Amino acid sequence: MIIVKDLKRCYGTGDTAVRALKGVSFEINKGEFVAIMGASGSGKTTLLRILALLDDATDGEYTIRGLKVSSLPEAERSYYRLTQVGYIFQDYALISEMSAAENVYLLSMMEGKSKKESYRTALEALEKVGLKGKHDRVPDELSGGEKQRVAIARAIAKRPDILFADEPCANLDTTNSKQVLDVFKELNERYGQTIVMVTHEPWHTDYVDRVITFKDGSLLSDDKKMKVKE
Amino acid sequence: MINDIRVGALIAYCSVKRGNKKTLIFIVFVLSLIFMNLVFLPSMIGGLSGLFTGFMQDYPYGDIVIEPTGDNTYINNADNVLKKVRAVEGVRAGTKRLDVGASINHKQKVVGVTITGMLPTEEYEISRYPYIISEGDFLSDLSRDEIIIGAMIAGTGFGSEIYDNLGEVRPGAFVDVTYSNGVKRTYKVKGIMEGKFEVVDLNALVHYKEIEDVYGLEGKEATSVVVRVDRQGTEAQIQDKIREAGVNEQIFTWADKSESLIRQAMQSMGAIDTMSKIVSLIVGAALVLIIIYINVLNRKKEIGILKAVGITPRSIVLSYAFLSTFYVSLGISAGLILYLSLMFYFQANPVTFYETLEIRPAIDPVLLVQSVVTMLTLSVIAGILPAWSVSRESILKAIWGR
Ligand SMILES: Nc1ncnc2c1ncn2[C@@H]1O[C@H](COP(=O)(O)OP(=O)(O)OP(=O)(O)O)[C@@H](O)[C@H]1O
Ligand SMILES: [Mg+2]
Repeated sequence: MIIVKDLKRCYGTGDTAVRALKGVSFEINKGEFVAIMGASGSGKTTLLRILALLDDATDGEYTIRGLKVSSLPEAERSYYRLTQVGYIFQDYALISEMSAAENVYLLSMMEGKSKKESYRTALEALEKVGLKGKHDRVPDELSGGEKQRVAIARAIAKRPDILFADEPCANLDTTNSKQVLDVFKELNERYGQTIVMVTHEPWHTDYVDRVITFKDGSLLSDDKKMKVKE
Repeated sequence: MINDIRVGALIAYCSVKRGNKKTLIFIVFVLSLIFMNLVFLPSMIGGLSGLFTGFMQDYPYGDIVIEPTGDNTYINNADNVLKKVRAVEGVRAGTKRLDVGASINHKQKVVGVTITGMLPTEEYEISRYPYIISEGDFLSDLSRDEIIIGAMIAGTGFGSEIYDNLGEVRPGAFVDVTYSNGVKRTYKVKGIMEGKFEVVDLNALVHYKEIEDVYGLEGKEATSVVVRVDRQGTEAQIQDKIREAGVNEQIFTWADKSESLIRQAMQSMGAIDTMSKIVSLIVGAALVLIIIYINVLNRKKEIGILKAVGITPRSIVLSYAFLSTFYVSLGISAGLILYLSLMFYFQANPVTFYETLEIRPAIDPVLLVQSVVTMLTLSVIAGILPAWSVSRESILKAIWGR
């Protein structure tokens, strides 16, 4: 589903240039739940932003479902962000003046769905992440875990091909982290949602199928765990 | 585009609905003051010029005034002119007058005046002179050797301190008048007129025949023929009709007259007015710019997030356009209410100049519409600019600041 070939990203130019990604290649298949790990500064965030079309690679090729997205013009990338990829931020990144439902259905409206349909989609997505009945609350009235789940609902409401999450549990305690990870797991197992998640916590890898480890902007290891199905 | 509008409206709506109400009230309040500032002074100036033109109509010029052509001192066949004028449809009344220079002398005090010779009974239809007699009575058709003196020169009315006066002349007193041709007459003061306007209160009135006599005229001359029309607003048409009727003297409407008279005064006031308008517009636009700019800076991250999740920059800019339109509309509405209340207050309690000159502001709908449109346009542009510039920044920069 995702093919990355020799992806490079260099911040700045000349003597001060930082080579955050030094040529990374891998593939991610449909339905995989992948964790990306690695020391701080190893380029995880850099990679994820490029994959989610929030940033451009300096060099290399990136295709989603055979479409070379790395060379799309901005307007199409914007549309791609809207419809094909979901991105979950470490700090939830919700719009504080919008209720949970509004945060989610804004995107459906952007896609051109009717208000009614957008609202229904939003409620559905909120239900999927276990927030039934809390759709009218604004972010300030939700716990960290709930906020992150609203963010997940926002990302999945559009049924994206891939869901990216950059340390989604970094600001959460264990209980809230578990809630969020359970939601990911559920989405992955029940709906076959492809998920790429950056994390620092080793115990998070219990939830995933595959762990890609980075070191200094390069791939260090790529472990595909045997999926234990009960 | 329709999606952009819907999303922009939703963002703006939420931001108003859940945004800080105190800030909103403050913004609206300041905007309303700016709007007030935009329309208040012009209204006062409008009221002032309306007052002046009103005086011009009520006293020296009527609705239309006919004056001698070229270097002539007199309209030579005033009765003939009057006959033609009165035959014109839409003319309500007309009369002839003779203005001459003179000095009035009373107990060693002398003041220079313009004396108007008029036909008293006709004036009731023409001017307000008969109605502003503060002491004594107006002239009658039989009034010979009688004079009406303006309150300022009589020394009884306001303004007496500023101008030379005769020192408290009352009805029944006798004054000596020396005309510009040297002829001297003694008149009994029949009344004091007080129009609260220099042009009136520094003058004196006598019977038309009196002037005729003094200057040896033959009953046909006049320095002006003053005309009143049936309906205000028809002056210009009637001016043409009078010309067509064969009157070859100079014909002015009150607007022509007051324009040349007031133009100079108004020009400097107009300049102040224009400057104050420009300043308040700039201040208003700058304020909206600052408000939206701060707002945009505070939400730079949210703007980045919106973009990151696929909201188009156009919807974001539109949301700010809606927001500033909303602010400014509220501000203008509040400003209008404030303005109208002030207008009504000042119309009931006019501003007095020189203690007697009452200025009631004039509400000019054209000015109001103009101000609303200008302020709205300018503010919306000022509101969009910062949003536009931030929405063009890269997502990374907007969200993470680098
Ligand atoms: N905008 C930027 N400008 C310059 N250098 C940057 C920028 N963003 C990241 N870097 C550098 O690129 C390298 C990779 O950064 P990145 O954020 O991808 O690391 P990371 O693996 O996500 O680290 P962490 O675990 O701390 O989040 C680091 O050395 C970082 O300092
Ligand atoms: Mg990171």
